[in-house]
Formats: sequence, structure tokens, C-alpha cells
Amino acid sequence: MDIRRTRIRDLRKALDTKHISATELCSEYFSRIEAVDGRLQSYITVTKEKAFEMAAEAQKLIDSGKGTELTGIPIAVKDNICTDGVKTTCSSRMLENFVPPYDATVIENLKREGYVLLGKTSMDEFAMGGSNQTSAFAKTRNPYNLERVPGGSSGGSAAAVAASLAPCALGSDTGGSIRQPAAFCGVTGIKPTYGRVSRYGLVAFASSLDQIGPIANSAEDCAILLNTLCSHDEHDATSSRVAVPDFTERLGQPINGMKIAMPKEFFADEVDNEVREAVLEAARSLEAKGAKLVECSMPSLKYAIPAYYLIACAEAASNLSRFDGIKYGYRGEGATFEELIRDSRTKGFGEEVKRRILLGNYALSSGYYDAYYKKALALKQEIIKEYNELYDTADVILTPTAPTVAYKIGAQDNDPVKMYLADICTVTVNIAGLPAINTTCGYDKAGMPIGMSLVGKRFDETTILQLADAFEREFTPVLPKL
Amino acid sequence: MRYYPTMGLEIHAELLTKSKVFCSCSAEFGGEPNTRCCPVCSGLPGTLPVLNRRAVEYIIKAGYVMNCDISRFTKWDRKNYFYPDLPKAYQISQMPRPVCLDGHVDIKVNDEDKTIRINRIHLEEDAGKLTHEGRISLADYNRCGIPLIEIVTEPDFHSAEEVVAFFEKIKLLLLYAGICDCKMEQGSIRCDVNISIAPEGSEQLGTRTELKNLNSLKAIAKAIEAEIARQAEMLDNGGEIVQETRRFNEAAMETLAMRSKEDAHDYRYFPDPDIPPIIFTEEELADIRATLPEMPEQRMARYRTAYGISENDAVIIVSDKRVSDFFDEAVDGCKSPKNVASYLVGEFMRRVNLGEIDLDVLKFSGKDFARLVEYLYSDKLSQNNAKLILGEMAQHGGSPETIADEQELWIKEDTEQLSAVIDEIIASNPKASEQYRSGDQKVFGFFMGQANKALKGAASPKAIQEQLIAKLRR
Amino acid sequence: MELKTIQHLCELSKLNYDDEALEKVASEMTDIISLMDGIKEFDLSYDDTKDNNSISFGEVREDIVKPSFSPEKLMQNAKSVDDCYVVPKVVD
Repeated sequence: MDIRRTRIRDLRKALDTKHISATELCSEYFSRIEAVDGRLQSYITVTKEKAFEMAAEAQKLIDSGKGTELTGIPIAVKDNICTDGVKTTCSSRMLENFVPPYDATVIENLKREGYVLLGKTSMDEFAMGGSNQTSAFAKTRNPYNLERVPGGSSGGSAAAVAASLAPCALGSDTGGSIRQPAAFCGVTGIKPTYGRVSRYGLVAFASSLDQIGPIANSAEDCAILLNTLCSHDEHDATSSRVAVPDFTERLGQPINGMKIAMPKEFFADEVDNEVREAVLEAARSLEAKGAKLVECSMPSLKYAIPAYYLIACAEAASNLSRFDGIKYGYRGEGATFEELIRDSRTKGFGEEVKRRILLGNYALSSGYYDAYYKKALALKQEIIKEYNELYDTADVILTPTAPTVAYKIGAQDNDPVKMYLADICTVTVNIAGLPAINTTCGYDKAGMPIGMSLVGKRFDETTILQLADAFEREFTPVLPKL
Repeated sequence: MRYYPTMGLEIHAELLTKSKVFCSCSAEFGGEPNTRCCPVCSGLPGTLPVLNRRAVEYIIKAGYVMNCDISRFTKWDRKNYFYPDLPKAYQISQMPRPVCLDGHVDIKVNDEDKTIRINRIHLEEDAGKLTHEGRISLADYNRCGIPLIEIVTEPDFHSAEEVVAFFEKIKLLLLYAGICDCKMEQGSIRCDVNISIAPEGSEQLGTRTELKNLNSLKAIAKAIEAEIARQAEMLDNGGEIVQETRRFNEAAMETLAMRSKEDAHDYRYFPDPDIPPIIFTEEELADIRATLPEMPEQRMARYRTAYGISENDAVIIVSDKRVSDFFDEAVDGCKSPKNVASYLVGEFMRRVNLGEIDLDVLKFSGKDFARLVEYLYSDKLSQNNAKLILGEMAQHGGSPETIADEQELWIKEDTEQLSAVIDEIIASNPKASEQYRSGDQKVFGFFMGQANKALKGAASPKAIQEQLIAKLRR
Repeated sequence: MELKTIQHLCELSKLNYDDEALEKVASEMTDIISLMDGIKEFDLSYDDTKDNNSISFGEVREDIVKPSFSPEKLMQNAKSVDDCYVVPKVVD
């Protein structure tokens, strides 16, 4: 069976009609992983043995007619989502040998469906970065050009899906970490509304911004995965009680009359011409299908980067304090607790993680709190207000996902400021807790994918899925040559 | 120079919830190391705290009994510091929006009434336990996540006596409200004292020190006295008080500076993004308030008005909730609560103080006690035999009836036996009988004693007296 | 960024840098903070009661005890003695 960019519904059909067994399907993916991942470096851990056990179990369910949507479907999981008995490293030396004693809620949800775990995918260390180059282990490459970055922080998941080393994957998104790598790797990825998916078991980067979501070959596949991932969870007090719809219900319905706002700040000079043109072209094609384009503005965007980094790093500094070498993780040396904790953290964390911890502690420390952290919270309220105003006249907001296509490995090394500025298109969505989906809208002259983002109202994933799906139906993706 | 001390308290009390404050592990005291733990309270990566409703209910109750305003909007913050008993390296606590604000509690010291203002009460989590073993320490997280309330007073105390009286009052309120067991020896209630002194008459407060880890009432009083003396000596010698945390060495009766946990006490408080703030409705608060049990002052009033008990007795009864609960059980349906109260305050409390009665493991019920008192006051038992029976009940349990039956302790209305015994006593003491008849009333006591001895409580003192008088006069 | 400030941040963060690395990170932090300083011109104040993330009291978890983990499983990543975490000497 050809598994290149094969959609979940086709895999489902093949499994249900016994065209292929769950185990055979699994083997297909492992063959590709073995052939390709040496160059691509998308996985940190491949769980082959476990996968075959899970596939055998899934096959039993299918054979007894108890199979559901994801039974026997192989899935790759970002390595910051805890898997009971399977190493979860966050691409950090700190957690190199960490084996969680429990499953994240999303993993429990998937297990209930009888999914098959292919392995854990590489990422930027503790999800801090947009290139996968801050990983302490596998530094993933872009399937479209191995000299370029796959994006990040869910770069391993996006690259694995793009290269067909998994039909779909889980990522996490704190400031664009699902959407931007999906854009760089030419696949579809959705960050759900904050609270839609339980964060229990997701190793926290910034708790008020983090959200787990799927990366897949299509909006439809994302919708199918969301149906299983979303649930109210008693282990996560921030998980929402809003009813979970069938996310596939509006796929294929006409989009005429839908109002799409395009805040002009997102199309400013910082955005590459080719990117801007591709997104505008996509907007015109949606217009041709009946959507209405609305011009608008989002003045607070100019403060978005500091607001985002202050909030995210303040929370991260606190969240990452628990790594002291005592309970788990890299245990350094030292005759006293103080020495041990300093040595463990100094050797366990990479440079970017340390910078963000320092920045976070700066923002929270006495004398700076009001000027930085509290100001960032004020901006969060302002950004939410501006989004709400935009949604008074629009159903969806359309922006580029990133100002550029995937850049060359090393291009942003040693320049944190440049790295941070590159997140401008995605961070406000996390600050406002909104759902947003990336889908491919074109390729640049060098053949690198260009992504656009559709941002929805809170808890309105259905509309952006419908719109992305409508676009994808008439868009032919180019596959990477791997 | 004479100095005037000023003190404020921070009281930590563990709440009697079933589960911990942010996870579902048991909140019971003790247990084998790390057996009451889960990924959440052990601070594993990826875990999230989920607030316990009962803990919130209990702090609201604490707020009401201490006359606080209950915030309609409350939220939680992270207090960040590194210590191996704190697995997340932050304590979930409350900073700008505590549940309770601006309360007050009345105390009585040396017969004078005084009001202590409460600044705030907030809800937080307890830390784990470290055992130091030479070059290493062992960490047990069973206590991590036990809900704690921190009661912060205004600096309204000026003597150790006031502090002790207040602390006892708080214990009483928490016990009556049913939200803390107040077992100091298990650390379920702890007290830190902020203390400063200033020359008498001075308007300005001195630099304060904080006394930590005071684990008994005695230690609180002694530590305060020691610290006041230390500060006074320091100032007298021209020294300066350093703002620092000190602990009390009970053996040496002195306070010692603790090396601070963090060079800079910069806790970097910020709102915990994992715990949504709560908004209470008036109805929810009213419902919680309605579940408050009768508090000591209300009980006092009831004892005085409904039962006519003296203020003194009522104070003694309510000042220990166990005694008061026992009394309430005893007088339920009882005809003479006043008699029960006086026997309780007298004989019962005497045995409690002697350690003969353990209030935590009572072997008899209030009803048993009430019937014993009833028998005593209706001349069915003699004073002595009633005491004897109470002693027996305290030691082995059992009903007063069974004990009286078995040991034949009842007063008998058998006048023949009484008559015979008295006849014999008179007959064998002719000289004394003559004395009485010639008007010497003093010997009557001798006859009473002889008769009591011979009858062993089998007749009531009244009956003995009547018979004796009748027969001696004959 | 002043040396004193970065040293204080390292203390709060429990991170060690040798002199050379400290100088480098101080210079990076200076750049990062000047990026963050952009926020200073924004002049609205924060009102925490207007964050739309509160829940009602009824949504708060009920007080029910659930089984804890076994120490073996819970501490599978830790150095332990007698089911306790081993901590080097705490100086306080």
C-alpha cells in the first residue's frame, strides 16, 4: 500500500476492508522511518516493539467489529507529551532518561480508540524555539530541503508527517509551535482553543498558552483527530466544559458569505514578498468561492512579541524550576542541595532554555514585575479586546503563518532576538487563546512550502476546519522527494 | 530602658479534608514514606493542580468564624523558591486576592477584653518532610499538598499572654468549626511570631524578627520572652536588630538566627495559570455559612439561658470542644442539666486533669454519665459510691447500673438493716450516746461516720441521719 | 545588563556561568530586554477581574480520595533510599 501522504479515511478504509492489517500498516511506516529518518531526524524514540503490540490489539478490535475512527491508525507523538513507560525527553539532556509513570490525557483518549504509537518526535528543547535546532538530540531537517529547518517547536511531528513517516502526529503550540512547522513542512496543523484539549501530561512550557493539537495531511484528518483529543478533563482545571462538536460536521459545506478579515499589520514589510503574495492569492481564491474579504487592523500587534515572551518566559521560569536533579532528570554533582541543583540545571538545560528562564525571572523579579510582567498581562487583555472587535464583523481571520519560508539551518543561530521576531504571525493567537489552523497555500521559487493561518473565534474550530478543507479540496500539494 | 513589644502572628492550620488540596491523594496524617503521593503532589513534569472544593469551603468557614470579609473573587499565585521539601519549586498560595480579608477575634486576658484584627486568611499547600541523616537528607512528600490556611494578624499583640490567649482562641474556633484538629504535636497547627520592641512611649515600631517553628504553647510563650529579652539587651548595648528569621532552642531558652533559604527573598509571586480564579455567588457563600456548627460563644449562651449554668462552669465546659460535645450528649433529654454540669466541671474534670479520663478515647457515653449524676442527686447512690463508679467507668467502661449492681453499691431502702446497724452502733458506744443525749451535738458526726462505714453507701445520708436522731433521742 | 543584575538572575534561576559565558549571556540578555522594552510605551493598566478565565464554585473538584501511586512507580526516575528521595545535605 502506498502510504505517502495517505489520509486517515483511506487508511481506515484499507483497515476495515482488510486490505491491510494494522500490523502490516505499522510495518510500512517503520520501513519508511528506517529508510528516511537517518537523514531527516524527526524521531527521538521509535517504539517499534510497542507499536506492534498495539497494532495486534487494534487488529483484534477491528476483527471483532469494535474498531472506531482511530483504531489501528499509527500516530507519532511529540516528545513533550507523557507516555507511561516510554521515554519522554522534551529534547533536553535534562530529561534524557525520563520515563513517565503516567499517560497524558490525550494519550489515554487515543489508547481508548486503539491507536498505534509509532514513536516520539523531536522538538526544540522544552518547546522553546522555532527551528528544532535547540534539540539536545535529533536536530530535525526539512523534508523539502535537508539543508533547511523544519520549523518548530513541533518540527519532528511536522517533518514526520510531511515525509510520510507517520500519517499524523501530535504537536503542542505555545506561540506557533504547531502552525509554523506545519507551514515550513507543507502540512496541516491546528492549535485548538485554549482549554479544548487537556494539558494534563504535556510537559509545561507556558501554562496559559500551551495547547496540544494534531498535525496531519489535511484539515479533515485534523478534524478526525480532534474528535478524540478534545474532552473535558478532571485533571486539568483549565480544560473547558464547552460541548465538543463533531469537528467533521461542516466539512464540504459551501463557504459563501463567510467573512474573512485580514489585519493589515500581518502583511507588513517584515513578511517576505513570496509569502505575502501566496497568502493574498489564497484569499482571492476563497473569495472566488463566495467568501467576503474584510480589511481591518490590529494595532496592538506591535507589542505582541514582548507581551508573548514576557508571559511565556515568566511561566516557563517557574514551570522549569522543578527540574532540580532530585526527583527525575539529569542529576549533576554536588555535596549540598544547592550545589547539586545548580550543577544539574547548568548541565541539563541548553542555552536557549536558560536564556528564557533568565528572562522569565527578570520579568517576575521584584522591581521589574510591574514594568514587564504586569504590563504584558495588560496587553493580553488589549489583544483579546482587539480580536473580539475584529470578530464583530468577521467569522475568520486570515494571516500568513510565518513571515518567511523555512530558512537555512544555522541562519538564526546566536541571534535570539531574530528568532523571537520570527514568531510575530502566530503568538497573538495563543495570547488570546483562539483556535488557528495552518494549511499550505503555495510554494516559493525554491519549492519550499508556504503556509497560511485561519484564526477562528473561541471554540469555533469547526469554521476554520471547514474553510481550510474548502481550500485544500482545490489545492494539490507537492510531495517532498524523500 | 523599658521597652514595649509589638507582635503579629502567622498561624498555619492544616484543614481536615479527605483528599489533598490539589490532587486526590489522601490528606491523612502520617503513612509510610511516599505512599500518599501521585504524579501531581510529587511535582512530576506535565501534571496539573486541581483545587479541592472542601478546602475552599473550610477556609470560608474560617473566615466567617473570624469575622472576615469573604472575597467574591479569589485566585491563586505561585510563590517560587527552591527547597527539597517543595517538589514543584513553587508553593501554590494566594497573594493579592486571598479568600478572607479584614476580620477580628476577641480574646480575654487577665479579665480584660481585647480585639485582635485579622489581616487576611489565605489557602495554600503544605510542603513535604525532610529527615536529615548525616550527609544526606531523605524527602517524603506525603505531606505535600495537605491544605493549609494561613491566618495573618495585624501587629496587635503586646505580651506573650495575649499571644497565647489568641492562639488558644483560634484553636478553639477551628475545632468548633470542624476544619482543623489542632494537634500541635503533629504539626497540624503552627505559629510564627513577628516581634519587635520599641522604647516605651515611642510611636515608631522597631525592626522585627520572625520566630518560626514554635511547636507548643509553652514554646510560644517562652520564645517570645526570650526574644524580647534578647532584643532589649541588644538595644541597651547600642546594637541594632537585624530583620531575620529565628528559631527557638527550648533547652537553652534562647532564639537563634536561621541561615536564610534564599539569599534574596524574592519569591516572584505571579498568578498560577493552572488554577482558574473563582467567583462566588452570594447564595454559595450563604450556603457555606449555614453549615457552620454552633460556635463556643453560642454554646455558652445556650448553657446559661437554657440550662441556667453558671458562667464559670459554662466557660470551663466550652473551652474544650470534647468536653462540650460530651456535655451536650449527656444533657440531651436529661432532667437536671445543672447537676450534670456541676458534676462534670467537678468530678469529671478532676479526673481528666489527673489523666484518669482520656477525652480522646472515652469508655462511656454522655448518657451513662448523666444517669450516674441522676442517681447521685436522687439519693440512689452515695457521693463516695458515685465517685467509685465513675472511676470504674473511666477505667473499664460500662454502665453505672451494671457496676452498682455487681458491686452492690446502691442505696437500699431496707430500713430493717439500717435500724439494726444503728442500734448496734449506739449500743456499742454508750458513752458517746450519753454525751449526745446530754446535749453534745459534736458527737453526731462520729455516729454518722460509723454508720457510713458500716453501711458502705447502702443507705442515703438522709435516712441515716433521721434514724440516728430518732434513736439517739430515745 | 549590569553584572550584578545578571548574577542575581542566575541566583534566582540556579544556573552557573563561567566568566566568559556570563559576559556573553549578559550581552544577549541586554538585547532581549531592549526588545521587551517595546512594551513600555503601551500605557493601559491591568485589571485582573477582567480576565475572562474564572470558574464558578460549583466547578471546583469534589473532595474524594483516589488511590495514590506506589512509591516504586512514582520514584522510578529518582535516586531513593527506603522509598524516600535522596537529597544531598541541605544547608540552612
